[in-house]
Amino acid sequence: MSKSFSLPDRLLEYGRIQPDIIAVIIGDQRISYGELADLTLSARSQLDLPGRCGSGRIAVRADKTAQTIALIAACMMAGRPFLLPSTALGASALAALLARAGCSALLAAEAADGGAGIQVHSVDLAPDAEPRTAQLVVTPTANPEPPPADGSGEALLLTTSGSTGLPKIVPLTAGAIDRFTGWAAAHFSIASGTRVLNYAPLSFDLCLLDIWATLKVGGTVVMVDQARATDGRYLADLVRSERVRVVQSVPMFYRLLADTHPDQPFSDVEQLIVTGDKMPAQLLGQLPALFPNARIYNIYGSTETNDSFVHELAGSAGDQAMPIGHPIAGVDALVVDGDGAVLDGPAMGELLTRTPFQTAGYLDPSANAGKFVDTGDDGRPYFRTGDLVRRDAHGVYSLLGRNDFEVKVRGTRVNLAEVEHVLLGHSAVLEAAVVGVPDEAAGTRIHAVVRRAAPGSPDSLTLRERCRLQLPRAAIPTTFSLVDAPLPITSTGKVDRQSLIRTVLDRK
Amino acid sequence: MEHAHVIKEFIVTEFIPDIQADQLDDDYDLIASGVIDSINLLRVITWLGGRFDIPLDEVEITEKNFASVTAICEFVDHATRRQESPIG
Repeated sequence: MSKSFSLPDRLLEYGRIQPDIIAVIIGDQRISYGELADLTLSARSQLDLPGRCGSGRIAVRADKTAQTIALIAACMMAGRPFLLPSTALGASALAALLARAGCSALLAAEAADGGAGIQVHSVDLAPDAEPRTAQLVVTPTANPEPPPADGSGEALLLTTSGSTGLPKIVPLTAGAIDRFTGWAAAHFSIASGTRVLNYAPLSFDLCLLDIWATLKVGGTVVMVDQARATDGRYLADLVRSERVRVVQSVPMFYRLLADTHPDQPFSDVEQLIVTGDKMPAQLLGQLPALFPNARIYNIYGSTETNDSFVHELAGSAGDQAMPIGHPIAGVDALVVDGDGAVLDGPAMGELLTRTPFQTAGYLDPSANAGKFVDTGDDGRPYFRTGDLVRRDAHGVYSLLGRNDFEVKVRGTRVNLAEVEHVLLGHSAVLEAAVVGVPDEAAGTRIHAVVRRAAPGSPDSLTLRERCRLQLPRAAIPTTFSLVDAPLPITSTGKVDRQSLIRTVLDRK
Repeated sequence: MEHAHVIKEFIVTEFIPDIQADQLDDDYDLIASGVIDSINLLRVITWLGGRFDIPLDEVEITEKNFASVTAICEFVDHATRRQESPIG
């Protein structure tokens, strides 16, 4: 570990030893390693221009371009910690985030010289915001000295995708990223020239696998155009025409492919990774036929720890949701009950993980309380995932849902996520959301909204029977709504449970 | 079981509107499956009392009388028979 970051060094090396291998495909552009190495060196020299970056952290505008990839590599090379804010943020939210992160500049990289060059420029932070946010005052907080050579210095800052409140800022060290990308490339057989699909926006932690692990080993990143990310035909054509071998994506992506081309297999895909959300059993059942030559994995992780569990689907999916499997090598996992006591053997409770890839804590240390738990065993602290899991007798973990989905029904604690899990296990259920509805007589009653694959079946009696066999009585929904249209979603793409509750209350 | 159909009509209309009365099996477990929970149970009893003229304060009522349509029919038969042909 003589170098703080092996990734930019590798990029330059690939520029010499495999200059004609394609590094990035986006739209009709194909950028070779030779070109990417040149862009990176050019971006690196522009970082040093007077007044370009200030003395604080850098924020990089996460446009999906080869130039942005080069700019990020240049930041790594310069040992300058950088934040990748979501491109979905409005001007004032972005300015506020940058101020919290201590960023002295927002940089963007654009094509120059007819596409062959790169122009790094500083973006006016808040052109549309109120004057007081436009006058961003930044207190430099970054360490102005060179980063430690052992990789323990802060390198990349990501943000959490929490559904409430401000996103938390998660600094990752060069060493943590290096360990993760090394694991990911080896586990999913990514090597020189391997074509890997990148579906997630550039600001997402998923890119550490599909972009950065790929570039580290000289593979080819096939980027999805963000503007067309919900266009099933475009996605299907891209995977097919670019002969993508490795795919990592959220369930929605596979739903789009399955709906677009249900009968035309994607036979070039060899490694298929599902991540980011619970996979409906019905959709999971379609994957082996749609990807006949692929090994199918479920990956579980969080921004704070990166990936911690992997499960490989063996044979048919059955009628259960896919487990998250076992901890990755080097990862420790605990299941704790509501009082924080560690449970042994088969158990259900909140999942705590620690990984070789994790953050040392949020940028704002006051946010760490209650989220990172030191068990006093000399190891890294454990991260409280907030997710409810079940561990079976074989040590296989399954994700049931968020730990905070608990309601009391007639005095009995019910975890709504567990009810959803049971309903989603039915092969003809596409989506399920279970909510607690305030009720004068019962206090809270449980209402289930279930989207079926086809009208008519299953009916509520069938679903009740399934619940009866798998759940305590208090957890069986009082009422069911069976629908054939997608459930309403929030702006972050999660099921909008509040709107479902309002619908029930308005009906009365 | 002469009252099975009218009982099923009540149950599906009140508690499981996506189901037709003839789809509901006589022996489907209404309690264990949550169709009749403790709050719905009161509504069923009140309705039975009015519909079949059962003196609710004179008959013994237990949850298992409502475990299925068959059980409810037996309950109704028993309660009304008792009323019509007093012993002695």
